[in-house]
Amino acid sequence: MPPRTPSPPPRLAVRLESVTKTFGGHTAVNQLSLAVPVGCTYGFIGPNGSGKTTTIRMLLHIFHPDSGEVEVLGEHSTRAANDRIGYLPEERGLYKKMTVRRVLAYYAALKGMNRADAAAEIQRWLTKMGLSEWADKKVEALSKGMAQKIQFIAAVIARPELLILDEPFSGLDPVNLEVLRAAILELRASGTTIIFSTHDMAMAETMCDFIFMIYRGNKVLDGTLADIQRSYGEDTIRVNCAGGAELLRSLPGVELVRDLGQSQELRHADAQALLRDLAARTTVRHFEVCKPSLHDIFIRIAKPDLQEMQVPKTTGGGS
Amino acid sequence: MNKVWRVAATEYLNAVRSKAFIIGVLAVPVIMAVSIAAQFYAQKKTDVTPRRFAVLDRSGQLYAPLAAKAKARNDVIRAGGQSVAVPLKGQSIKVDLPPQAEFVPEEFKFSGDHLKAAELQLSERVRRKELFAFVIIGPNVLDTRATNGADVLYHTQTPTYQDLPSWIESTLSAEVHERRFTAAGVDSRQVRELSRGVPLQRLGLAERKTSGEVVQAKRENRVATMLVPVGGMVLLYLVVMTSAPALLNTVLEEKMQKIAEVLLASVAPFQLMLGKLLGTVLVSLTLSALYMGSLTWGLWQFGHLGNVPGYLFAWFFVFQVLALLMYGSVFLAIGAACNEIRDAQSLMFPVMMVVMVPYLMFIPVLESPASPFSRGVSLFPPATPMLMFLRIAIPPGPAWWEVALGLGLTVAFMLGCVWASAKIFRIGILSQGQAPSIPKMIRWVFSK
Repeated sequence: MPPRTPSPPPRLAVRLESVTKTFGGHTAVNQLSLAVPVGCTYGFIGPNGSGKTTTIRMLLHIFHPDSGEVEVLGEHSTRAANDRIGYLPEERGLYKKMTVRRVLAYYAALKGMNRADAAAEIQRWLTKMGLSEWADKKVEALSKGMAQKIQFIAAVIARPELLILDEPFSGLDPVNLEVLRAAILELRASGTTIIFSTHDMAMAETMCDFIFMIYRGNKVLDGTLADIQRSYGEDTIRVNCAGGAELLRSLPGVELVRDLGQSQELRHADAQALLRDLAARTTVRHFEVCKPSLHDIFIRIAKPDLQEMQVPKTTGGGS
Repeated sequence: MNKVWRVAATEYLNAVRSKAFIIGVLAVPVIMAVSIAAQFYAQKKTDVTPRRFAVLDRSGQLYAPLAAKAKARNDVIRAGGQSVAVPLKGQSIKVDLPPQAEFVPEEFKFSGDHLKAAELQLSERVRRKELFAFVIIGPNVLDTRATNGADVLYHTQTPTYQDLPSWIESTLSAEVHERRFTAAGVDSRQVRELSRGVPLQRLGLAERKTSGEVVQAKRENRVATMLVPVGGMVLLYLVVMTSAPALLNTVLEEKMQKIAEVLLASVAPFQLMLGKLLGTVLVSLTLSALYMGSLTWGLWQFGHLGNVPGYLFAWFFVFQVLALLMYGSVFLAIGAACNEIRDAQSLMFPVMMVVMVPYLMFIPVLESPASPFSRGVSLFPPATPMLMFLRIAIPPGPAWWEVALGLGLTVAFMLGCVWASAKIFRIGILSQGQAPSIPKMIRWVFSK
């Protein structure tokens, strides 16, 4: 039997090696190392001000690191790869006085795309997003959702190999959200590497192959969701009982009660003891010992910064 | 460089397709046309109601000649008024002078010592609109020894109307002079001949050709010596100052609307800044080409194109580009550093003070273009584009080395401005938070 050849290491779209970036006396990113394989969806999570946007700006060479190495699509510490990167920043910006077609053509041109290719691609994406009749309207005439879709098209128009999306779904209604999600999944299926920064933990859980969390400039999580959850063990209990969160908080040994409305999530050192205690006091409709959701993990890490964080109420739960 | 041109082309097209540009281009000719039309209209609407005035002639000798002159004047007006000939493309065009009101005098007989009563009576008639004004001619008006400074008193309710008192003053003065000469036994015609002024003719300098032939000095042309230098400098200032400050607004808008970050993901900050700067240079050149084209056509129509040397056009565009790159980069840096227009306004003040230097200094330079002050101020780089252009436009112009030195200093200063602005732009364009200060911007310039 011939010896098995070891599988080659995955090609990397992004490699950060001990990258540090400071602003004045504040360290925004500290000794960060990261490897994003080609073709995956990599979720960037972290509280506001933790260093996500700084990291993204270093990937785009908008900021230069104080130390460490940034390699993007095989290019070392230069902007050479930028034409192959699509970027949707958190704060959207389009020229209000330009028509949709012209603004998209401009962004495509800045990525080095020729005029004919850009025109065809613009038409294809506008049709796909249901915006073809708005092509020659000024951006200022668009609704917020439409403008957001146009901004997304601007990010993907030049068929990027690496797509960086910073909060792509914020402010979208469910219909438009699904349209955008489908477009992102289609790009991923076609081989585009996606870096996806979000505060929506449920979205990160369902869409990302890998999760990376940065907190106060330091990497605190990096791996698949399963790996991350495994490292925390099955320490979460989901309960649906009469009496709800108020009753649960009054029980001895209960930590971190999170009220989800119809059910509550909590931690307890002895699940069996808790179940007995609960059954003695009230009606228990559901009792489940499970892995912590990404939302829970996030909160456990970032609890000191919770006041600053804007966690969407609809998220969490994980299943 | 390709991306720089992409940015420049987009900036250019965005600007020239905008309503503001079209309005801006049309504004000057439209304002001129409207003001000319308004003046013609106003002239046609001039109140030409005959101005009736009473004359109380206490000298007893001046009413008759005054009435005769008024009648002669009225006859000319009734015959169709006056006109002047204006040359246009070798032909003479008759241009009518504005219509004028007739002056209708009436003698007011006065006897006794009741001057005050007469004054009151005539004043009442003016109030009742029977008269427009009345004039009291003093009894000693012909007496050369009389020292009374007010020999003729003009009373009216409409002091802003100047034609009638001016005409009365000049007509009576001429008549009184004539009579005084006659009384003194002097021939007034001889006096006029003897007191004829000495006209001064302004000329350039004689020169000797290479063939040895001496060329006589030419008569000074006021269009060439005054209108072209001043008009050219003002136009240069106008096209620069209508284009460069707009950069502040566009970059501030891109920053406030979060467009800058999207652009910076595709182009380097310096490419973005340079593209915007070049786009604005193109916009400004388009603007000046349109204005210069119209002015050239106008000068040609009126036969004055020969007064504008061809090299002035070239210098105009050279200095325009230098000024735009210099001022434009500074405005871009301010726009990038600020977070809102209010921050920008406070930073604009010192910049505008420097930008105003050429405008504040051009009169002494115009009067004495070769003085040490003019030389010095025209070598001060922020002022060089306007003031060196002015000096070049005034014959015979500065020495070549002064122009070369001015150009060299300005290019060096402009490159310094672009370099420093690029450093500020790179940091400022993504900065948020507190308003920038000049010391902070200086720190950005020298940061790595």
